[in-house]
Amino acid sequence: MTGLGPLLRIQRRTRWRSLAVWVVGLIGGLAATAASIAQLYDTPAKIKSYGDAVVSNALVAINGRVEGIDSLGGIVQDEFGFIASFLMPLFGIVVVASVTRREEESGRLEALLAGRIDRRAPTLASLVLVLAAVVVTIAGFVASLLVAGITASGAVLYSVALGMLTLVFATLATVCAQVVLHARGVYILGFAVVGVSYVLRGVGDVTGTDWVWLSPLGWVEKTAPFADTQRWWVLAIPFIVSFTLAAAAVLLADRRDLGGALYRPGPGPAAASRRLVRPVGVAAYVQRSTFAGWLVGSVALAAVMGALAEEVIHAVLGNPSLSNLVTFTSDDAADGFLALTQVYLAIIACGYIVQALGTLRQEEADGRLEPILAGAVSRRRWLSSQLAVVIGGLVVLVVASAVVFGAATALSTGDSGYVATLLGAGLAYLPAELVFAGIAVAVFGVAPRMYAVAWAGFGAATFIALLGHGLQMPQWLLDISPTTHIGNPPLGDVDTVSLVVLTLISAALVITGFAAFRRRLIPQG
Amino acid sequence: MTTDDVVQVEGLVKWFGSFRALDGLDLHVARGEVHGFLGPNGAGKSTTIRILLGLMRHDGGAARLFGGDPWRDATRLHSRLAYLPGDVSLWSGLTGGQCLDILAEAHGGVNSARRAELAERFDLDLTKRARDYSKGNRQKIALVSALASEVELIVLDEPTSGLDPLMERSFQEIVRERCAEGATVLLSSHILAEVEALADRVSIIRRGKTVTCGTLAELRRHTRTRVHAVTQKEPDGLGRMPGVSDYGAERVDGRIDTRFTIHPADLDEAIGRLHRASIDTLTVKPPSLDALFLSRYAPDASDTPIAAGARGEGT
Repeated sequence: MTGLGPLLRIQRRTRWRSLAVWVVGLIGGLAATAASIAQLYDTPAKIKSYGDAVVSNALVAINGRVEGIDSLGGIVQDEFGFIASFLMPLFGIVVVASVTRREEESGRLEALLAGRIDRRAPTLASLVLVLAAVVVTIAGFVASLLVAGITASGAVLYSVALGMLTLVFATLATVCAQVVLHARGVYILGFAVVGVSYVLRGVGDVTGTDWVWLSPLGWVEKTAPFADTQRWWVLAIPFIVSFTLAAAAVLLADRRDLGGALYRPGPGPAAASRRLVRPVGVAAYVQRSTFAGWLVGSVALAAVMGALAEEVIHAVLGNPSLSNLVTFTSDDAADGFLALTQVYLAIIACGYIVQALGTLRQEEADGRLEPILAGAVSRRRWLSSQLAVVIGGLVVLVVASAVVFGAATALSTGDSGYVATLLGAGLAYLPAELVFAGIAVAVFGVAPRMYAVAWAGFGAATFIALLGHGLQMPQWLLDISPTTHIGNPPLGDVDTVSLVVLTLISAALVITGFAAFRRRLIPQG
Repeated sequence: MTTDDVVQVEGLVKWFGSFRALDGLDLHVARGEVHGFLGPNGAGKSTTIRILLGLMRHDGGAARLFGGDPWRDATRLHSRLAYLPGDVSLWSGLTGGQCLDILAEAHGGVNSARRAELAERFDLDLTKRARDYSKGNRQKIALVSALASEVELIVLDEPTSGLDPLMERSFQEIVRERCAEGATVLLSSHILAEVEALADRVSIIRRGKTVTCGTLAELRRHTRTRVHAVTQKEPDGLGRMPGVSDYGAERVDGRIDTRFTIHPADLDEAIGRLHRASIDTLTVKPPSLDALFLSRYAPDASDTPIAAGARGEGT
């Protein structure tokens, strides 16, 4: 196709850094997981104990039903399951959205398509780019698993299945990019499908029904890479689906106008409302879609996990070895499960904070901050309005998720006491979440171009919070994540001293950010 | 219209939802000319250009570029043209030089000696990151990219937005040089002075329709000359003379102060009558494109297109 080559060279030039971060991060994540697990489970007896422990519907709901859990590879698949369920699809969606719709939105694609570049080339280039990144990732995955001493055929099948997961969502994103007008829309549609896939896979795994087959996440699981009988043929499903989606995207791209979309919103009001013209109103407008996305994800996870609580109690009663679960160490596995879910919810809230405050950076880089500060709005008022809206959103997000989590748990177990318990647990994580607000504001104030540092901090905290206990990381490493210090409610007692310390740390970071923001050059594009 | 037209657009129609952006637009650009494409904001200039570049499809009428189908043969036709988009957006992390390389990669046919020369003439620092460029400098990058290409057609969508007068002059010189070498230029603008300085022929559009088209001389012929004279005596029958309108005469300090507009063809006769009334002072303002332009843009202006050669209504 005309222009595919030049476009790929252009993308390589402008995108290679972010692609490299993704690939290295993913490979590093799996390599670290596999290496720690190989170290922890160094005897067949230990491996068997893990398998006995996690045959609980609760963990099956979170990590997936792993066939061949009595093998080293099976343990890795289980531990990496949750992270892979979100990161692999996200990888595909982010790369495609930024290469296709984001470029088109910015107007850069217009200059390129007026050259000798076919209008289908951007879509194909994004897929070639993803494919290349996926191939490298798969190679890295296989190497990491082999190093950890996992069988070659299992390592290859598992890595390829994960790679196909990325491809399915990448091709889905190419179709979304034809349907909606903005990259943000592609993210929202893509994440919605990830969420639905996660729920379908969870429900299917817990109830043992064919719902699993409707979920791209289920296809990874059904290849059964570490079971005695692998199902290589299952790889054909994501292959066919990706191919069909890619073909549809290319056909659509060949027919539509530049800047056009199948869905475009109609005209809006001619004037801003009273609320919208105030700094807080503008901030709320800018934040609303980010907030809505995270809210839906968080509430959905809370509802599904709460509804599964009863299953967990049954599993605990029927299986005493559950109390030796690697992820938590209490006799009360129901509370342990709830506590674990609470950590996931806290991570979601932290992610919201980092993304929401990242829009400040976007406002500045896109030149919208300058005219506002040139008016009567002071720097301090602007930043505090933004921060107030984001933190207000955080509180709503946390309370809504906690209430839904409590209500769903109360309904499924018949114990209404969970509503108050889980609301308390949810609120207890607020200081840890505020630390990320502090980091984000500080980075934005001091070195706005390095906002990726806030994301890196979030990534590290997520890795530690989700895998730290399972991989038995040393305490100092666990302590890096603010979530570690809360006290793991409702399983453990809330550590009130830590809450105060974390709040003070966040406050100090926020003050640093404000002080630096008042002094620094604006704009820094 | 001749078969040598580089751009042939007839009765072009484009809908955006329920909004008719182009409503039967005509545009003909002959080989080797600088064609001014004038219209107020939102008249449909960029949409027409995007259709010509195969970036958008049209819903009705016909559009041909180099005699080919702009949508179907897009990439083949694009190797013969260079384009400066109305909204210039660069890769913020890359330097100006890198952005130029990228655009050259997409277009091909860039003369690198000329590129260096143009960067020099536009006073551009190619080692700066795109995000550190001012609006004018980003515009210059895009201009260098478009004007350095060895192509038959250069399409410029509001090329001088953000440029200072000095750079505007460099721009005009460079466009003239390219034309002298045989390039055809389609220059979309709402800045009259720029079009008057460069264009051989002009198409004026309004609300998605071509209102007027012709050479500058032809267009000038449709506009009216403004005359202001002070004479000793009352000029004889001037107010009733064919071709004269907006006539007004009053007695000031014992002299006759006369103002009127007149079609250029009737000027000689009118001046003769003024002469016979003994001229004290005489001001004749030649027809300007401004007048024509403003008359076409006025909210109550007629939507009826006038063909070149037909008599205009004047101001």
